[in-house]
Amino acid sequence: MIAIHLALMALVVWSILPFVWTFQTSIKFTRDVAAKTPVLWGYETTSSAYNAFWLKDDDVNMWSVLFYILAAALIAAVLGLVGRWMGRRGAKVWPWNLAVIAVLLAAVWRFPNIWETEPEYEFFVNSIVVTVLTMLISLTIGMLAGYGLARYTGISGVVILIVALGFRALPRTAFVLPYFFGANRADQWLSDTGIATWDFPLIDFPLIDEFQFLDTRLVVVMALVAVNQPFTIWMFRTFFMEVPRELEEAAMIDGASRVAAFFRVIVPIMWPAIIATGLFTLLLAYNEYLFVRVLAPTEWTLPVAIVSLTGGESSRTITEAAAASVSITLPIVVVIILFQKHLVKGLAAGAVKG
Amino acid sequence: MNRRTFWWFTLPSVFVMLALMVFPLMTTIWLGFQRLLLRDLRNPEWVGFGNYSEVLSDAEFWAALQFTLIFIVSTVPIQMAFGLAVALLLDKVGKGRSIYMAALLLPFIVTPVVGTLVVKDLFERGGLLSWLFEVFTGDAFAVTAGNVKWLIVIQSIWYVMPFAMITFFAGLQSLPEERLEASAIDGAGFWRNLWHIKIPHLRTLIVFVGLIAVMDAYRVYDSVFVWTGNRFTDAHTLQVYNVRVATAFDIGRLGKGNAIAVLNVIGIFVVLIPFLWRTYKDQVSERL
Repeated sequence: MIAIHLALMALVVWSILPFVWTFQTSIKFTRDVAAKTPVLWGYETTSSAYNAFWLKDDDVNMWSVLFYILAAALIAAVLGLVGRWMGRRGAKVWPWNLAVIAVLLAAVWRFPNIWETEPEYEFFVNSIVVTVLTMLISLTIGMLAGYGLARYTGISGVVILIVALGFRALPRTAFVLPYFFGANRADQWLSDTGIATWDFPLIDFPLIDEFQFLDTRLVVVMALVAVNQPFTIWMFRTFFMEVPRELEEAAMIDGASRVAAFFRVIVPIMWPAIIATGLFTLLLAYNEYLFVRVLAPTEWTLPVAIVSLTGGESSRTITEAAAASVSITLPIVVVIILFQKHLVKGLAAGAVKG
Repeated sequence: MNRRTFWWFTLPSVFVMLALMVFPLMTTIWLGFQRLLLRDLRNPEWVGFGNYSEVLSDAEFWAALQFTLIFIVSTVPIQMAFGLAVALLLDKVGKGRSIYMAALLLPFIVTPVVGTLVVKDLFERGGLLSWLFEVFTGDAFAVTAGNVKWLIVIQSIWYVMPFAMITFFAGLQSLPEERLEASAIDGAGFWRNLWHIKIPHLRTLIVFVGLIAVMDAYRVYDSVFVWTGNRFTDAHTLQVYNVRVATAFDIGRLGKGNAIAVLNVIGIFVVLIPFLWRTYKDQVSERL
């Protein structure tokens, strides 16, 4: 038994050593980073790399920033726990979960009003916007299709599934190049016809500054929803197959329509499936690099911003890139800790049927 | 469910896939026959198979194909064997399993470009492993055109192993306890158990993980791009080469790039079609 634990601990070291090293780099002074023999312990720590990456003013007291983040996280955690407690007593949970999300988004939104931020903060916001929209759209339509495909027995359902499976295997480049071309042509047409400069008095497009495609978050969301769709419908179909038909049939005998039965009876018990599929969609959108780099040359998300830092050889950019890497990884660590069970279940579900 | 309701449920998704996947793919095929420069997208010019003959006579294409194949052959078997070994360990351990699992999952969940950067930093000048190498050999370690391919392979195993691990682990969980007890009574040891009970039980999962691993290794982009950038173009895989040809600043050739993309798609379908056909058969016989 001890041998197994030792082996697993060695594997844990193999897994997280690079992250530990990067974290160390991010809190060192540049003189220690540049030292010929690595300074492994006893070094002075600094938060200046984080300060330089995120904030315009390089002399901010980073403890106050940390306090702000922790306070927001604490309020969100308390709301979430209250929600769970209420849920166990039979009350509705979703208003509390909504409150958790609202608190976190408000914290992100208010942050630049307190500290003046670098453009990188915009990229962080872009990451959130792209991720949330991709999740909302692809989960909604994917869930409907997954349900239809789980319940329909005609041959066209099988054909859709097989075509989707084929799409899932295709390389990104087969999509990113025509997207680039198409978005460019569409923008040209919009500006030739003058539509690009139209003023829409009632509609404000939150995703695009001017009416165009290339270099907007909109086109990135479109591309991500598309490449994620095959995975989403397969995943949801797998989960819906496990739900007994009798459940919605009983509701339909009571006079409910198929659609009403779906939303009132099926969706409420499908939260584990929605969370598992949502997690993988979240990771896909949050981690995307190629689409953003090609389709949105200035409307970056965080991964592109971090890679752009690494061209330089000075130890200043090394610490900043390390700080940025730690910053982008922390939300993912939180996700793993909170949703590990769902992640494992989702991977297993995809595997057993897929 | 009748056909009408089915289409109402499925239509949004099918529409998205038609408009945002099928239509772009058609565009890819069409663009592959055009001479089209990135700096002048207004004037595509029909050149037939001109792009294709140019790609096929491009030494860089064959180098990229060669490295992609080496990459697949060297990462896929190792990551699967490694993943199976770790899954067997996790299966044995009771206390602290979820902590181990969280830590072991991290490389797979983290943003791929960031995962690559943090591993790369260990090997760069001033990095921990680079320094250890110097302590033992006397020479400082540097990432060079010669060794970057192997670093890409090692980092890739580090990155994807958790997928095999978690899938095999889930498979082992569904192994009935009685079968292991029966073999224990027969006096079977670890290796006989593994070979005659556990691996046969995991057979479909092994095929599945192998297929996904091959597909993902074939279309790897992020990590190879971060390792090589524009410095080590010899170590570019097909996708990196493809994007480089199509979007290089000022000399990007979108037409040729799309021709390469079409070749890539054909390449993956050669591997995939038997599997798709089998899945189709399974699904048709399963539906009721």
